[in-house]
Amino acid sequence: MIIIKNLSKSYGKNQVLNNINLDIKKGNVYGIVGENGAGKTTLFRCLAGLESFEGKIASHLNPLKNHLGLLLTEPFFFSKITGKEYIQLLANSRQITLTNIEERNIFDLPLNQYASTYSTGMKKKLALTAILLQDNAVFILDEPFNGVDIQSNLMITEIIKKLKNLDKTIIISSHIFSTLADTCDEIFLMKDGEIIKKVKQIDFDNLESEMKAFTIGNRIDKLELK
Amino acid sequence: MRAYFRLQFKMFNRNMIAFGLPLLIGYTLIPLLFVLFSNYLFSIIEFETPIYCLIALGFVSKLSDPKRNDFLKSIYNKTNYLKLRSIENLIYALPFTLFLIYKTQFLTAILLNLLGISIILFNFNTHINMTIPTPFGKKPFEFVVGFRKTFFIFPISYFLTYISITVGNFNLGVFAMILIALICLSYYSKIEHEYFVWNFNVSAKDFLFEKTKTCLTYFTILCLPILIALCICFVHEISILLVFFLLCHAYLITLIFAKYSSFPKEMNISQGILIAISIMFPPMLFVIIPLFYSQSIKKLNTVLK
Repeated sequence: MIIIKNLSKSYGKNQVLNNINLDIKKGNVYGIVGENGAGKTTLFRCLAGLESFEGKIASHLNPLKNHLGLLLTEPFFFSKITGKEYIQLLANSRQITLTNIEERNIFDLPLNQYASTYSTGMKKKLALTAILLQDNAVFILDEPFNGVDIQSNLMITEIIKKLKNLDKTIIISSHIFSTLADTCDEIFLMKDGEIIKKVKQIDFDNLESEMKAFTIGNRIDKLELK
Repeated sequence: MRAYFRLQFKMFNRNMIAFGLPLLIGYTLIPLLFVLFSNYLFSIIEFETPIYCLIALGFVSKLSDPKRNDFLKSIYNKTNYLKLRSIENLIYALPFTLFLIYKTQFLTAILLNLLGISIILFNFNTHINMTIPTPFGKKPFEFVVGFRKTFFIFPISYFLTYISITVGNFNLGVFAMILIALICLSYYSKIEHEYFVWNFNVSAKDFLFEKTKTCLTYFTILCLPILIALCICFVHEISILLVFFLLCHAYLITLIFAKYSSFPKEMNISQGILIAISIMFPPMLFVIIPLFYSQSIKKLNTVLK
């Protein structure tokens, strides 16, 4: 269980997160939705311990970061490191010895090629594979479906379901509502650094239509398209 | 095109300021250090001119990054692209050219510029998906990445050792070893993305120990052929050789600690100055190493705690 209490974060005068309170239960999948710049990634960075913050993040896993698999929106890769070496690097960092990397390459990635030559989707799949092989208890997946082909999208959805069955905790941010509706137990709606709504699975349908009305409204008319 | 060079000049100044170097000091210090380095190189090694040219070409070829050039090709027509790249390469080669002229190596200076320009005709954008094998694959990433970028230096270094033995020049042999140390130092000169530090589930102390152990082990492996050959062929100079070998180890440790002492930012000017002082006065290492170590532990604790 992860408890986030009164979490706030600002960069100078710019308040990015404002008084976030969340209870993240073990074995559940949580979705975070919100516009670009709403504070999703900053919240993830605070959870991962990559940012200082005001407030408190408590967890039964101590320290949380050592049990956390973090998939960044744009994973970083060194220019001359192969896919296999990248997986090895992340495993080594958690003292895990991997012997059968090729067999566990479920996305059929060209593991002996330099990761920097991969396409955006392949990079994401490689980074995801690497954190999955780290034996983490908690996963933070920042836009895991971005730039990934439809087959892999289905695969990632199934992986999330499998992780849930294994009692792992997952927090996902995504702009693709259907994928969140498929996998999440609860969705948090963020706006301007605040959680403005917490929605349980049963109300997901309402959330989608509410979000459409809320985010789109009559904005498109302002373009005066002819 | 003028706008492009103006922009490049602005970017250069911004980089200097970001490095913590006020422009006035930067424009004084950089040429001064360059002259000192060039003079030092010419005074300690044989075959100094070809080696100096190789260093210059290596510097110029930094502009040949395929992505960068693809971008330039996409915004300029062919003639302007070639003009622009030629001028860029000539500007990059200029300090080396001036020094060669000062050394009255006029022909070499002309040759260097011609080679500098001809580099633009080569397309470094190879689509061959070839992965350079590395003996350091088990422990990514510094030596894996670094070895692939600089693998050609090692045969050169071993060849220099061979020459040093055949002509009986011990200094050249030591230079070959220092060359490997410099290459290994370059692997640790840039700070990695914080994600790769964050991922470790060890204490800051263990993290630094592991990094240092890997670096020193691999450096020793790369140096071993030189060390053994020089020990056999220059028996009377073994003590000097060992001093240099240990100094290389000390500087590698210093750089690793210096790198993480400003984590997650790049090393700053004050750290650079401290390292420079320690190069001129090695006993300073006894102060600098513990200082950088304690600063590194502090900085690494922010993400590894």
